[in-house]
Amino acid sequence: MAKAGKKEITTKAPTRQMWRRSVVVLVILIGFCFTAITGRLAVLQIAQGDEWQQKAVSQQLSDSIISPKRGSIYDTNMTPLAQSATVWTVIMSPKDIPDDATRQKIADELSVMLNVDHDKLLEKTQKVSSQYEVVKSKIELALRDTLSDWIQNNKLTGVFRVIEDYKRYYPNATMLSPVLGFTGTDNYGLYGLEAYYEETLAGKPGRIVTAKNGWGDDMPTALKFEKTVDAEDGNSLVLTIDSVVQRYAEKYLANAVKEVGATNRGAAIVMDVNTGAVLAMATEGGFDLNDPMTIANPDTAAAIAQLAGDEQADALKAARQAQWVNKPISDFYEPGSVFKVFTASMALEEGVVDESTTFNCGGFLMRGGARMNCHKTSGHGLQTFPKCISNSCNPAFIQIGERVGAEAFFKYFTGFGFTEKTGIDMLSESKVTDILYHDANELGESQLAASSFGQTFKVTPIQMITAMCAAANGGKLMQPYVVKQVIDSDGNVVKNVEPVVKRQVISSDTSSRMAKILADAVNGGGSKNAYVAGYRVAGKTGTSDKTDQKVAEGVKKDVVASFSGFAPADDPQVAILVLLDEPHAPVNFGGTISAPVAQKVLADALPYLGIEPVYTEEELANMNRTTPDVKDKEVSAAQNMITNSSLNYTVVGTGSTVLRQVPEAGSSIPKNGTVVLYTEESGAEKKAVVPDFNGKTLSQANQAAAAANINLQISGVMSGADNVGTQGEAKGGSQNIAAGTEVEPGTVVEVKFIYEDNIA
Amino acid sequence: MASRTGVSGGNGSGGRAGSAGTMRRAAVPEKTKKKRRFFAVANGFDMPFLIILMIILAVGLISQFSASYAYSFYWNDGDSFFFIKKQLAFAVLGVVAMLVVSTVDYHILHHFAIPIMFVSYVLLAVVLFLPDSSGIHRWIRLPGLQFQPSEVAKFGMILLFAHLISLNHRKMNTLTRGFLPFIAILGVTCGLVFLEPHLSGTILLLGIGMIMMYIGGTRVLYLLLTMGGGVAAVIYMVFIKGYEQDRINVWLHPFEAYQTNRDEAWQTIQSLYAIGSGGFMGQGLGKSRQKHLFLPEPQNDFIFSVICEEMGFVGAVLVIVLFGLLIWRGFTIGMKSPDKFGSMLAIGLTTQVGVQVLLNIAVVTNTIPNTGISLPFFSYGGTSLVMLLTQMGVVLSVSRNVSDEKT
Repeated sequence: MAKAGKKEITTKAPTRQMWRRSVVVLVILIGFCFTAITGRLAVLQIAQGDEWQQKAVSQQLSDSIISPKRGSIYDTNMTPLAQSATVWTVIMSPKDIPDDATRQKIADELSVMLNVDHDKLLEKTQKVSSQYEVVKSKIELALRDTLSDWIQNNKLTGVFRVIEDYKRYYPNATMLSPVLGFTGTDNYGLYGLEAYYEETLAGKPGRIVTAKNGWGDDMPTALKFEKTVDAEDGNSLVLTIDSVVQRYAEKYLANAVKEVGATNRGAAIVMDVNTGAVLAMATEGGFDLNDPMTIANPDTAAAIAQLAGDEQADALKAARQAQWVNKPISDFYEPGSVFKVFTASMALEEGVVDESTTFNCGGFLMRGGARMNCHKTSGHGLQTFPKCISNSCNPAFIQIGERVGAEAFFKYFTGFGFTEKTGIDMLSESKVTDILYHDANELGESQLAASSFGQTFKVTPIQMITAMCAAANGGKLMQPYVVKQVIDSDGNVVKNVEPVVKRQVISSDTSSRMAKILADAVNGGGSKNAYVAGYRVAGKTGTSDKTDQKVAEGVKKDVVASFSGFAPADDPQVAILVLLDEPHAPVNFGGTISAPVAQKVLADALPYLGIEPVYTEEELANMNRTTPDVKDKEVSAAQNMITNSSLNYTVVGTGSTVLRQVPEAGSSIPKNGTVVLYTEESGAEKKAVVPDFNGKTLSQANQAAAAANINLQISGVMSGADNVGTQGEAKGGSQNIAAGTEVEPGTVVEVKFIYEDNIA
Repeated sequence: MASRTGVSGGNGSGGRAGSAGTMRRAAVPEKTKKKRRFFAVANGFDMPFLIILMIILAVGLISQFSASYAYSFYWNDGDSFFFIKKQLAFAVLGVVAMLVVSTVDYHILHHFAIPIMFVSYVLLAVVLFLPDSSGIHRWIRLPGLQFQPSEVAKFGMILLFAHLISLNHRKMNTLTRGFLPFIAILGVTCGLVFLEPHLSGTILLLGIGMIMMYIGGTRVLYLLLTMGGGVAAVIYMVFIKGYEQDRINVWLHPFEAYQTNRDEAWQTIQSLYAIGSGGFMGQGLGKSRQKHLFLPEPQNDFIFSVICEEMGFVGAVLVIVLFGLLIWRGFTIGMKSPDKFGSMLAIGLTTQVGVQVLLNIAVVTNTIPNTGISLPFFSYGGTSLVMLLTQMGVVLSVSRNVSDEKT
């Protein structure tokens, strides 16, 4: 340092000044500048490192989502109701399209192959900064293969990706449609159970992370990097719904709605009385779940097609909403006389009446200044409490309601769940607000009177049947449910749903007394159209005016005709509710049009569900006989066999052996029916002409059948003619072989009989 | 002036073995003559400088291999070794040239100072009339050899400045002898390079020139006035005339600028991604993702970004420290030189490396606007590497004449 001496100024060695200035430069260059850039690196790499790395990774890695397979929906017997199948979605990376000629080619050829709009596709190919444009979603296997070949042949593997996706299929199309609901194109549940159980069904999406180079291509093999996080498939639902019962309910409901011209459709629910499990939930006029946006009703669709512009769009939207409505849980209605079950239950429970209490009916009662009529304008006279129910007598129930009193009435009204949601595991259950019913303070004289027979308040069908179950099952209000089990994709049980008892509403003693009273109502009472041979069905019909309907003066308001009941009465297992909204049949009583629907559903469903019929002696006596096999038998032997089966015979021809018999062996025909025995090969066959049974009473029908030499099969009522007449006469209705048809003698013609007395 | 051999002269291998381990120790007690003698071995050139340089070269080649590996793969039909093979060959050639030059007495360069500058000017003029590549006249391409005249001019100017400073030392504080000739040479050289146009080369020349003038003894006042004028000119050009706005925008707002100025901003953004994602410890040698076509020419100007990504902050700092040591050692050789010519040569050549390293790292970290400047001993380029190593040979030659005796 001290090297440059005083006289060293002339030497060639560096001077002190040079030394000093060198140190200054070193300090600035290394001490300051190099330290500064080191600091800058520390900021970038340590302080902001994660941030930069994240950004870098987002461009270095290409991340594709693997759709999880959505869980299935099964009915109670594991019959699939909704399933997902593999389809593919085509993704394009316009950034990687080499030139405009290729863009044109893609638009020209793919628009045809994939059936997409040419111009829109061309537009997509021109988004040069984009790497992700969906060309077409949900193509199926065959089309995918065609497309893959095309991509290979045109060397566009860097441009297109074909990603696995799933599409929802509903094998039964319309069945259970408002209950199941549907998913959107993104497999997200939009409606019904698909929406309510979205989280359960959806599963978790997986990812494939692949390293890309700056051109967006995969890395060379040696440098390849790929990481897959598998998708977690969704869980499946097992419903309490039984497809078979559901089909019965839908079929008979649809027939009835059509028959009676119910303009606001109809609904039916079948429920396990003791658990609240829903066995069937039907709304007339479902839609195709595989195509939920299309209006299923051809008339409505045609009407919408007539419209244009916004009007059309609005109408379409409204029609869709309407066809998706799950009527059993969404619609309100005035229950009418069905509600008498609960008024009666609370009266029994409170001890203000018993089976021997009598009430008088003079055809009407004045309450709150209003005249309240009985449907039997001449009045029922003096009647016992059970008869009041059987007769569905309004004046009697006004008196019963008054005995209970407003406070207790509302206590039970709440107890039976009419002021709250049932809590069924479904979307869009409507909540009854207090505008729809009267609370204890609002139950004045006229309100209490009308409420006693089920008018001036509204409930949902699901509330009604849930309450009916409580009345039947020993008084427990259950929480209805439709999903009984959740299973994973391997079939392991994830969750079992246990029935939930919400509360005890009435005692089990009251419940069983009610069951007996209601069973009597069916067996010869006002609800007798619900009679099913072998089963003691208990229930109550109802026909309520739509009191809030706005109609022109002089025009009768529409009604809701319903029936709700349960069977078997002595050991309640299955509850049913049938509701026909705004029927326009000649006679629109619940007992006339709704009870038969319930009867048919129960007649099919009860044996199917394994509920053993218990026939009364009377029923046994009147039960159909099975025709014995008498072919190739001696005529006399054949005659004996037929007589032993409590059947009659007619012999045609003079041969000694029976060559042919009508009806065939094993046929079921009514007691005392006729079997025709043919003993000659070429015997000119006698023809029988089917008579018109419409409007005939049972005995008239039997006579006509005998005269025409055909066998009569009666349905809808107890077939024993002795029983008829206690409560008016049943009349012949539809028959399965049209009047005037020529048939072989002995042919069985089925005729449905209906009680037409005006019992609501 | 006569070369003096060190105490341990003649024992090359012994010195080399000892120096690697004790290099760091040498850094601190440098001022003690006795210690330094220990390293002055063999032919008497400065062992620490050589060793630091060789380490830098080795690290540089490893980095070059990693950085060019992917780029070469994509651009040379899957031949990942294309760049490194060439670079390695030139490195060997360069080291040989360096060792040869180091044995030559640098004083003969006095005679070449003016001719080389003259040749530089001719080349700088000629290059302007040669066919351009995307509007830039920067390269002279001969069969088997391509080089930038600005590189030659850089050496020419350092040599000429050293020559002039050593001759005119006593009058360096005057305007006419210590300032105007230098500023004229600097002006003409920078002007020609700027016309290519080659902004980073111009800045580099200015930096080296000014530092040499400062150390050589030019009055600070003149230098400050020059710098003031320069700054004023830059402000005028950028803020008033609006030149280089794109570059400034990319510097200040790379992500916004990317919308309009894709290529320029892309470089900066990708470099920041690379550096940032290195974190503290790095992704590991060879594991850069950004070199896979994200970073433009990762083997060249942006090689430091790859180092940052692969070796992290630790590796980056190590490289900076290595360069710091080299510069410190180069300056030390300059200080110890028995004459001002050798002193200014060593300092000028070392400064060149220092300023270039600084600018390169400042650019890749987006600390200053992007000017496109390579990292010495790291970036790809055979001719450039050979020239650099040859110049380091000159520094070694100077070191051989370093006096290790106090009187």
